[in-house]
Amino acid sequence: MAVRHKSVETKYMEERGAALRGLRQLDRRTFMKVLAATAGAVMAKGLVPPHTFQLVNVANAAVDKSWSTAGASGTPPFMFAYLSDTHMYVRAKNQRFVKGAVKAVEDVNALDPQPDFVLFGGDLAQLGRPEELEQGQEILAMLKAPVKMMVGEHDWFYDLGDKWQQLFGPPNYSFDWKGVHVIVLMSVHEKDFWTARKLTPAERIQIVAGLDNPIQSRFEVGDEERDWLKNDLAKVPTTTPLLIFSHSPLYKYYRNWNFWTEDAEQVQALLRSYPNVTVIHGHTHQVLFNQIGNISFYGMLSTAWPWPYAPQGLPPLTVQMNRADPYDQLDGLGYGQLNVNKEGLPDMLYNLWDRNPVTIHSEYLRSHGKIYRPPAPQFASY
Amino acid sequence: MISKAAFLLTVPSLLAAAAFAALAIPSRAQQQQPTHNLPTAAHGGTIVMLCDGKTGIEVKDLKPGQTMSRAEAQSVADALMAKWQHAHPNEHWQMAQASPAAEASPAASASRGAIAPSHAAPSSSQTQSAANAPAAAPSLTVQQGDTYASFQPRDYKVWKAETDKFVADGKRIFHDDKALGSTIGVSCDMCHPDAANTHPETYPKYQVQLQKVALLRDMIDWCVENPVKGKALDPNDPKLRALEAYIYAQRKGVPLDYGKH
Amino acid sequence: MMPTLRIPVLASVAAALVLLCAAALAAAQEQNPLAAPKSHIQVGFPAELYSWVIPPDNPQSPAKVALGRKLFFDDSLSADGTVSCDQCHSPTKGFTDQLPTSMGIHKAFGQRNAPTVLNALFNTLQFWDGRAPTLERQTEGPILNPVEMGNKNLEDVVAKVKSIAEYQQPFQQVFDGLITLVNIEKAIAAYERTQIAFDTPFDHFMAGDQNAISAQAKHGWDLFNGQGRCMTCHGWNPTQPLFTDNRFHNIGVSAHKSDFVPLARKALALIQQGGGGMQQLDQLAIQTDMSGLGRFLVTKQPHDIGAFRTMGLRNLLVTEPYFHDGSQQTLWDVIDHYNKGGVQNPYLDGGLLPLGLSESDEDDLVAFLATLTSPEYADAAKEELDHQQTRAKTDRPQRDTAAAFGKTGLGPGFKGPFGDIGPAQNQENPALLGGD
Repeated sequence: MAVRHKSVETKYMEERGAALRGLRQLDRRTFMKVLAATAGAVMAKGLVPPHTFQLVNVANAAVDKSWSTAGASGTPPFMFAYLSDTHMYVRAKNQRFVKGAVKAVEDVNALDPQPDFVLFGGDLAQLGRPEELEQGQEILAMLKAPVKMMVGEHDWFYDLGDKWQQLFGPPNYSFDWKGVHVIVLMSVHEKDFWTARKLTPAERIQIVAGLDNPIQSRFEVGDEERDWLKNDLAKVPTTTPLLIFSHSPLYKYYRNWNFWTEDAEQVQALLRSYPNVTVIHGHTHQVLFNQIGNISFYGMLSTAWPWPYAPQGLPPLTVQMNRADPYDQLDGLGYGQLNVNKEGLPDMLYNLWDRNPVTIHSEYLRSHGKIYRPPAPQFASY
Repeated sequence: MISKAAFLLTVPSLLAAAAFAALAIPSRAQQQQPTHNLPTAAHGGTIVMLCDGKTGIEVKDLKPGQTMSRAEAQSVADALMAKWQHAHPNEHWQMAQASPAAEASPAASASRGAIAPSHAAPSSSQTQSAANAPAAAPSLTVQQGDTYASFQPRDYKVWKAETDKFVADGKRIFHDDKALGSTIGVSCDMCHPDAANTHPETYPKYQVQLQKVALLRDMIDWCVENPVKGKALDPNDPKLRALEAYIYAQRKGVPLDYGKH
Repeated sequence: MMPTLRIPVLASVAAALVLLCAAALAAAQEQNPLAAPKSHIQVGFPAELYSWVIPPDNPQSPAKVALGRKLFFDDSLSADGTVSCDQCHSPTKGFTDQLPTSMGIHKAFGQRNAPTVLNALFNTLQFWDGRAPTLERQTEGPILNPVEMGNKNLEDVVAKVKSIAEYQQPFQQVFDGLITLVNIEKAIAAYERTQIAFDTPFDHFMAGDQNAISAQAKHGWDLFNGQGRCMTCHGWNPTQPLFTDNRFHNIGVSAHKSDFVPLARKALALIQQGGGGMQQLDQLAIQTDMSGLGRFLVTKQPHDIGAFRTMGLRNLLVTEPYFHDGSQQTLWDVIDHYNKGGVQNPYLDGGLLPLGLSESDEDDLVAFLATLTSPEYADAAKEELDHQQTRAKTDRPQRDTAAAFGKTGLGPGFKGPFGDIGPAQNQENPALLGGD
């Protein structure tokens, strides 16, 4: 096919792409300068650069403004964003998932004000290959805000975490942020199903990548890491709000798809003495929330594809999102913002592409659904 | 490929299909479809047989390629059934029920009784599905004889094994981006684990994005072509048939609800 | 408030001429056969749908339609007596003005392309952004808009109609003499509901006449259903044969001209101050650069930024130019736009993908679209098609072959059309399997 015609947009994209390809050689400050320069060139041509913006103030206006009046440093409120489940193959194989991730990165970069940090919720890669993870790191490096990484099973089970840890460090860690204690867990340990079967790494990840593949075992945090968690919490007063990140939901939703953590009850028990605990998890690719005792749970959206709701076990407090339109490659996908209030409890804002955003007020869960009920779906899953 | 003689289905509810016996065109039939050997037509007409492979009559006036009227076909069907019953005086045949309402009507029962006195034959045993194979060998309380009364437990096992293989093949393809012909590493299970959210029981239904009524296979093909980025499969492609089988199998027990959204 | 003008000079001159002649022409236009109520005896007429869309509180009647027709062509409805409805919705131009954006009183131009009245009765919402719920309420927009008919308020219009002697009798007959805004709106809407346009070669083809359209057009119809992905939004079926989903999509038309986010913030602030009533929305849409925000002005939802209503495709060879701002001159330009996956912007609809249509595919699609012409416009459409064809041979501003074939942007920061190239090619079209 003779390439005879190029539109102005294409020319702009090419220039921009060329600038971005030099990304890895640049530190962040220089990188931002390059970006600005490209945008400037475009403005000179009378084109509007395709920056992504989110009218945060619009989406939030009806619910809660406490977070936006930023507290003094050292206390809530604050806002952070998440991206999750990008499931990227290398872009030569599949551009769609790469573009989903890039779109989310640009959306988050356009947030005003910027989030304090961006949590990446796991499953950066689809098949855990080193080149997939490197490409993922390259794309996440475009985020303006600091990034906190979490691992998912798709990232881990090709080389059992070697490459991921080399790129991003230990898979479980904690830090304190404006009065909230934040813990990132590696919750997708699996029992060894591969040695006895003499599986290659490629075969192993293929099995793990199949959500409904029963050969793999159920996810767990595991004894070792639960001990680590216990020790970590020993230093944290029970008055401190906790924010826990895990890839799998830290409760039991649907076993067959590993919407599940085998030792969830034991982990929950360690958190019981803290009145304000929020768990943010990936893996489920859907609008999903739950309340168990003192713990509020929120599932993150994917940028690659939405999962259907499981046939059983959906938490009764969850108000389903509408079924996704298969004809719209953005539908059912997106990213999120969490606006942490003075009590250290986040309101979850699901920024769904091509849909109205959905806000889940922390008090909706804490009141067990008595107030702030989100709108019902027109076309629920069945 | 119009066969010279067509077979009558003996499933009672399909008796009316006899009217179309001479027209039955097994188009797109599977190549390995078994056939009965037919006797030669002695008078240059067309042999019409029951599916027992034994009972047949020749319709003398019907040359190959000709068709019968509905009334003629019905009379042929009646003659065949009469012949079968004559040859099997001890067999009981439960006639087709036009509708549940007719069942409740004494007059209708009486007329059916006139054709084949019913002794409350367990009609369910005639349509026994593979999955519901009887555990024990047939006993004297169950009808014995030809066709549906002659199947043994092993037959049920064969049926089930064959059906399960068909479904298993569908499951394999469903989970295999290469078998689906995906150019971008996408397979069905990535969005539909355990074939969830495929709701095969709701087809045919108006598919908003196609702006027309679709069958399940239309949507499978759409998915293969669009998100999966493969080539749409021919309706008779064994892969498409297997995918359809797997998806239906995953929804066993769910009531049909065509047109649901 | 001075709108930003991007009207070609020639078009402005033409429009000015139209204005000068408007008054004289209006009366003649009213008697034009093309202005007459249409028969329902047309191949493809959706009788069921028709029965669902006539509002129970405004049933059709010949007297009401006649009154509405009179009002539709009456210049008195404008502030200075120079502009009637048909200035922008002229029967001879497919009930549009064939201008990029419309001109109202004092030769002022708005920001939006005049949508056709033909089959507008079937729209679920009116205007490009759906800001009016019914044809009745739609009339208020132009009547009050300062760059359309320019009235200060609706009472003035009612008073003016009351003062005209020849309206007394028909209002007496239809509305028991009550000359009110609601009744004026009802009458005009009733007349508009007579503008039904089917009976096209395509309708005859779908009714079984294999010779009604050419082989080229038939191939275009296949592409329309398959590789072109047109059917998803421009849906056709016998019950609703309108080629629209009546929904709103950002396809990137205004992305060039509009810096969406500052505009959206500005619009929200203004709407907060002004209350966001229909008149305010109308002015934002017609008179300001916020016009490009489209549906967002109505819903205030970010995903509706830059989204406009899917227009039906019937008689589109007499309703040129195309898109909400009339920015595209030919059907080839329109298809080029879609072929490259629309114009990138953060709110681009996720259904838009590069389509990989070849030049001859595009020609075939146009050939198909040309079959959507009702008999009364056949000659005009033929002339326009020839004109567009000539123009398309040399002038294709929207064409981008590389983007259309998904060959651009493999860089890490690439944010080209979302997803992969549209349906794999050379397939039997799944949309044509089953359901027939």
